Amino acid sequence: MHIDPLGEIHHDPLARIGLIMLALIMLMAIFAPILSSYSPNDYTGKIFSPPGKDHPLGTDSMGQDIWVRLLYGARTSLLVAGAVALLSSSLSVIVGATAALAGGLYERFCMRIVDAMISLPTIIVMILVAAYLRPSLPLLILLISAFSWPSGARIVRSQVLSLKERMHINASRTFGAGLMHIVFTHIIPELTPIISALMMQDARRAVFMEAGLAFLGVSDPMVISWGKMMNQALAFTYLDVWQWWLVPTGLALSATLMGISFLSFSLETAMDPRLRKGNVRF
Amino acid sequence: MNNAMRNCLLPGRDRWRSLGRRLQSLFPASVLNYFIALAAIFSINFILPRLMPGDPLQAIYGQEALVAMTDEMQAQLIRQFSLDKSWWDQLQAYVLGLLRGDLGFSYYYREQVSLVIMGALPWTLLLTGLALIIATAIGLILGIEAGYKRGSYLDRGLVAGLMFLGGFPDFFIGILLLLIFAVSLQVLPLSGAISPYAGLEGFAYVMDVLRHLALPLTSMVLVQLGSIFLLTRNTIVTLLEESFILTARSKGCTEECIKYAHAGRNSLLPLTTATGMRIPNLLTGALFIEIVFSYPGVGSILNTAIDSRDYPLIQGILLIVTLTVLTANFLVDLLYMRLDPRVRYAH
Repeated sequence: MHIDPLGEIHHDPLARIGLIMLALIMLMAIFAPILSSYSPNDYTGKIFSPPGKDHPLGTDSMGQDIWVRLLYGARTSLLVAGAVALLSSSLSVIVGATAALAGGLYERFCMRIVDAMISLPTIIVMILVAAYLRPSLPLLILLISAFSWPSGARIVRSQVLSLKERMHINASRTFGAGLMHIVFTHIIPELTPIISALMMQDARRAVFMEAGLAFLGVSDPMVISWGKMMNQALAFTYLDVWQWWLVPTGLALSATLMGISFLSFSLETAMDPRLRKGNVRF
Repeated sequence: MNNAMRNCLLPGRDRWRSLGRRLQSLFPASVLNYFIALAAIFSINFILPRLMPGDPLQAIYGQEALVAMTDEMQAQLIRQFSLDKSWWDQLQAYVLGLLRGDLGFSYYYREQVSLVIMGALPWTLLLTGLALIIATAIGLILGIEAGYKRGSYLDRGLVAGLMFLGGFPDFFIGILLLLIFAVSLQVLPLSGAISPYAGLEGFAYVMDVLRHLALPLTSMVLVQLGSIFLLTRNTIVTLLEESFILTARSKGCTEECIKYAHAGRNSLLPLTTATGMRIPNLLTGALFIEIVFSYPGVGSILNTAIDSRDYPLIQGILLIVTLTVLTANFLVDLLYMRLDPRVRYAH
């Protein structure tokens, strides 16, 4: 696959919009302490104060500044997204690639587990596990990764299966290359586009899961999360606060999810030669 | 020893194999996966509470429930689940209970878990089923039209618009619709599935149900529409280059006939596969939407169960949702076998 995905998506307006959205959220996360003078757990006194000079987005039902919680919520979201993307895609690659290379009973065993896990409603399983464990942030990352690797493993396996029969890999084998050499110099580099697409999917799912679990109230209550903010705000729709509490939080979450899915859509289009041909461009 | 001789010596083996083949032609190969998935859920439900530190009864029922229970009730539960005996006895008690359809007792609703869930499941199935049908119909038609006129304003507009909509998390779409139509404009009901104490009957009752269904249904359709549309559109784009389309064209088929009878019909296959894979998401998406609109389905029960730490109820919901998902997946597999004869003959 001789496509340079980064070069391809550079000219795609959709990918640019996605990148801009993600960059904004990242800036919010990185410069959170500079962008607000409050600390996210400060009680500033007045509850439900409308947006003003002191509080760009007003205060919530406990008198906390909404803007600063929005900023720190971005940190949680992006941290979970990044960590899950790394962990889950590594699991996918390890299981998928070893299954394809080893074959035999091991492969059948792995793929049975993958198939079974794919047919499960994973969100509910995670809700139950989270309800028991009340996961802290690292545990939450582990939990989400543990349930999001199977679909990736299936993709990696089919890719490795077709890769390992390619001419150049056979040639390399005839020259006496060992398994490790083939894996690290031929297979892994060829998998890069697929792995990057997987990481995007995992990241998107992770952001959604983190927010969703917090929305349901099954995550660590100390972690500042957009999902939890939306859940709290939803109880006060009869007041005007939703305009600066519920909507901005939801938009921040949506922008993160959209940024990731636009990027990954553009990446997928760049990698699928049938859809390329300059036809899918806007 | 050749094959015929081996078959003579081992008649049983061959018979088993042909039986297996006959079963495979009746059932999709994925049935085994569903059993494994179900077994995994049973194990999670059985093991997880028993792995928690402390008193098993407390882990199964949660601290809040124990405070509300009398000593006699606790003793009865310990006896029922054999909690004072070995893991093996506990497993036996658990499996026997499941076989009797006993999912435990919900202390919050003060009713059998199975009854609580069965009361809510029809609403969820109504919402999910309608959303699936409507979203598939609209997405299919829009996808065929857009894919057929690739690059037109209609196509570009639809791709951009639906990609944008599909980017929202489902519960936020629900929240936005709720804020616009129920909170700001106040044209549709804010929550629930029927107007309480209205005592409506007949046509008025159906209209009432539909009015309450409108917002949750719209949000689910909007979320689903994007991926169905994009998949159909991309399938049509690739299908239009196939030679059977050229044949259809050269034998004088009308545009509509090519669009729907040739290209559209063939785009149903990937769509069916994708629908099967999407069912878990669809159902869990419905749970979130129900929570937003306080729709009295499984999602609302789940929310209550989480808030009140009613663990047996959460476990029961997990089990029932999994069963529903696996059944739906099975039906999709059967449908796929009907749609694509190649799958049946491949075995």
